[in-house]
Parts: sequence; structure tokens; C-alpha cells
Amino acid sequence: MLKDLFVPNAKPHPSVFLTMVACQVLLLLLLWLFYPLQLFPTLGEVVASFKELVTTQGLIQELWASLTTALGALAIATVLALVISYLTALPFFRPIAYAASKMRYLTLTGLTFFMALMVSSGHQVKLSVLIFGATVYLVTGMTSVILTTTQEEMDHARTLGMGEWRSFYEVVVLGKLDEMLEVVRQNFAIIWTMITLVETLYQSEGGIGLLLYKQNRYLHLAGVVAIQLVILATGALQDYVFGFLRRIFFPYSELSAAK
Amino acid sequence: MADYQYKEPILTLRDVSMQFGGEVILRDISLDVLNVVRPGVSQGQVVGFYGRSGIGKSVLARIIAGLLPPTTGTVLVANPQRPVCPGDVGFVQQRYPLFNHRTLLDNLLVAASRKHAPAEAKARVEDFLTRFDLAQHRRKYPAQLSGGQRQRAAIAQQLLCSEHLIILDEPFSGLDIAMIDEVKKIIMEVTTLDELNTVVIVSHDLATTTALSDTLWLLGPARDAAGQCLAGATISKKHQYNLAEMGLAWQHGIQAKPEFVQLIEHLKDEIRRT
Repeated sequence: MLKDLFVPNAKPHPSVFLTMVACQVLLLLLLWLFYPLQLFPTLGEVVASFKELVTTQGLIQELWASLTTALGALAIATVLALVISYLTALPFFRPIAYAASKMRYLTLTGLTFFMALMVSSGHQVKLSVLIFGATVYLVTGMTSVILTTTQEEMDHARTLGMGEWRSFYEVVVLGKLDEMLEVVRQNFAIIWTMITLVETLYQSEGGIGLLLYKQNRYLHLAGVVAIQLVILATGALQDYVFGFLRRIFFPYSELSAAK
Repeated sequence: MADYQYKEPILTLRDVSMQFGGEVILRDISLDVLNVVRPGVSQGQVVGFYGRSGIGKSVLARIIAGLLPPTTGTVLVANPQRPVCPGDVGFVQQRYPLFNHRTLLDNLLVAASRKHAPAEAKARVEDFLTRFDLAQHRRKYPAQLSGGQRQRAAIAQQLLCSEHLIILDEPFSGLDIAMIDEVKKIIMEVTTLDELNTVVIVSHDLATTTALSDTLWLLGPARDAAGQCLAGATISKKHQYNLAEMGLAWQHGIQAKPEFVQLIEHLKDEIRRT
């Protein structure tokens, strides 16, 4: 029922909800089509620009280049962040996780300089900056997940005769893997915000960030909006893929969530 | 009075005290749970354990389960007696924790495989699934089980890897009459699985706990010889009730008997006094 859409905590029928979303998107497009803002490019200009970017500027190839770099950085950052977070089981390593988490306040501009001194190629600098940036955010999220472990959960494992490491593995590593995937999903976005910066610093490999930079530089607002929309759509697709993976590999994950 | 004999010790607490940051929580608790043997009956026993909220019941339960080392004193379990280690005593916590990332079958298998070879573990799990009326739910995750099924699963999981002794923390809390009957049935089922099986019930439900128990402990404030209150709670000799000796154990419909009603009134008076 339509009135469910305005009742707090209501659960509208999925078809009603999807129709509502479709209507909202349509309304937005119509507003954009018939009442364009003066400074904002029209829908027609953005579509035309998108076509041009795809045919003449290789938008899809640049997107693929950025996506593969982002996924590579995310994979390495995830492994690093998991290791750092799991090591918090040992008091000796807790300061490392604490320091890693606080490093998210560092600015990337200063960081790229140090990275450039430490590694040889532009690609490696780009990758190192992305890995560093993603790792510090992932460590923050992952240690928060670990900290939600309760005494009851650990006691439960211990009463089954599991030693401390086995209890940690069962309760924290296996038991919270689905939540770790959620942390990765949430923090993947940070890589997209960083990639624009690093791709402009090291332009030899191209990428969607460089394309965006060029459009910005020459005040091609329609091109900027088109690229931003492509990034937005890619992000939405990524979120969907992560959600799909979570449902496939961790079917128990959403069972206790409020629906 | 029923014919019975006490044999080897199952659980022994000697001068157990616990302090947190200098604050005494438990003081000099000494208890013995002995194997009760009744001719022609193969059944374990039930120990009821009552104490007011916040007095230290959970701390004592965790000490008995080997999860918390006492500041002083020892807890001995099994035969021959040895200091308790985590895993020796089953401990079903109030919210019946299970591994939410494992199916019911996996939850039981992971417990059984702590003590048994894979084939035997599988056979025992199948047996427990049937005994606890959980066979049709084997593929479900804990979040898909009802409260009663979850409780039965948690008890089965603990029994699969503990040494005959199992602590149930508030097993009747928040349950309706039908569910309480169900839990009582499970407890009796556990005691009949093995003659050495001993269930320790930590509960606020005095009447139900006393009706099921062979022994009842009241945890109250410690007092000195002059009757002055001391810091910390204890279970004094006076508050260790041998219900078998009193003729109030192992009887159906015991709750309707005048002696039982009298005992409950006496216990309530004692609790109010503490």
C-alpha cells in the first residue's frame, strides 16, 4: 500500500518500493530535462558528452584501467588490514593497529612525496598510495568489528575446550568474516576518491581520474558530470557485487538483521 | 525415603574466593558434589543454585566452568579429581550462544570433534540431534531456530564435549509455563543420559529449581562468628540443602507436597534475611 511509504518502520511490498524508486528517478530526470539549472549542463549535453568520451577518449578503457588498479590495491590493502587487525589479539601488536588507524588523518599530498622516494616507478607510487590510504581506513573498520566481540562469545568457544588461538579463530576470524567483507565494501569508495588524485600525479598510465582532471581543466562540465555518473554507477555495481558475494558466501549474515 | 548412596566426588570447591580490584565478591566457598547411586536407577543429579541479583552467581558459575581462575582456592572436577580447565565443564549461558556462522549440525560437530574421532563424533551428533528433537533442523543456522530449539542445541553442544558436568545459567528466565516444562524435561533427559551427568542450575526460579534438584545451594552474604556481615558472598554449611536427605528429591508432583511448600517458605525467609 502507498500509505506504507510514509509510516515509520513500515515494510512496503517490494513491488511498491521498486515502483516508488523508479518514479523518483524519473522525476529527477524530468526535472533535469525540463528545468535545467543555469550552471549545470543539461541532460542532452551530458549524454552527448558521454558518447564522445566513450568513442574518442576511451572512457571504457580508462575506467577499466582505474578499476583494475583499484581492485589490485583493495586486495592488497584488505590482506594487510586483516593481518594488522587480527594481530591485535596479541597486546604487542595493538599499538601498530592504533597507529595505522590514526594515519587516516595524514594528507595524501605529503604522502606521495615519501612514496616517490621509496619506490621506483610511477605505477608503484600510485599503487602504494592507494594501498596505504585504503589500509588505514580498513584497519579502523576491522578493529571496530573485532572490538564488538563479547565475553559471552569467547567464553562459549572456551567452554567447548578450544584454546585461546582456536577460540579467536572460531569467534573472531570465522565468525566475523561477513562483517569484514562489509567493512571492505564500505571502504572501497575511499579508493575512488584517492584514485583521481594519484592518476593526475602520475599521468603516464591514464585512468578515469586523469580523464576527469582533463575535463575539469578545460571546463567541460558536461564531461565532468558524465564521468562522475559513470563512477557513481560503477560504485553502485560494486556495492551490489559485494552484497551478492555476502549472500553467497555468508548466507547466515542477514538472517538476524531487522527486516 | 529413597535408598541411595554417595560415591566418588564429581565437583569439589575448596576455599574459593574472588576479588576484583580489591573488592571481595566471593568468600571461602567450599562445596562437594558426590555421585549419587540409587539401586535400579541410572540417573545423574541436579544441583540448584540460588542467589540474589548481583551477588556473584555468574562469577561463581564462570569459576566452576574454569573460565575465571579464583583469587584463592581450587575447583576440582572429574574422576580422579583434577583442577578444572575450560572445556571440562559445560556452561550454557543465559542467551544460549552458538556459532552463528555454522549450521546446527556444524555447531554440534565442532563440539563433538573436540573429544572424538570424526566417525564417532558424527555418530554422537546424530544421536543427540534425535534425542533433543532437532534432527529436522540440522541444516538451519542458529538465527533460524526458535528460543527453545536454540536452548536445546546449546545444551547438546556443551554435553558433546564436557565431562558430565554442565551449568545452566538462568534456564527458566523469560519462559512461559509450557516452555518451563519443556526445559525441565530436557534437564531430566540430560541426567538420564549418563549416571554421572550432573546439571547445575543457576536460577531465580526458586520453586522450579528446588523441585528439580537433589541439592540446593543458597549464595548469600558472608558472616563472621558473631553474625556480622563480611564483604563478599558465600554458601555457608547452613545454606547447603541436601534435598535427598530431606526426602524432597526424585518425586513427581513434589511441588504440591506440604513439606515442599514449607521448605520454599523457609528458603524465601532465608533469602529475605540475607
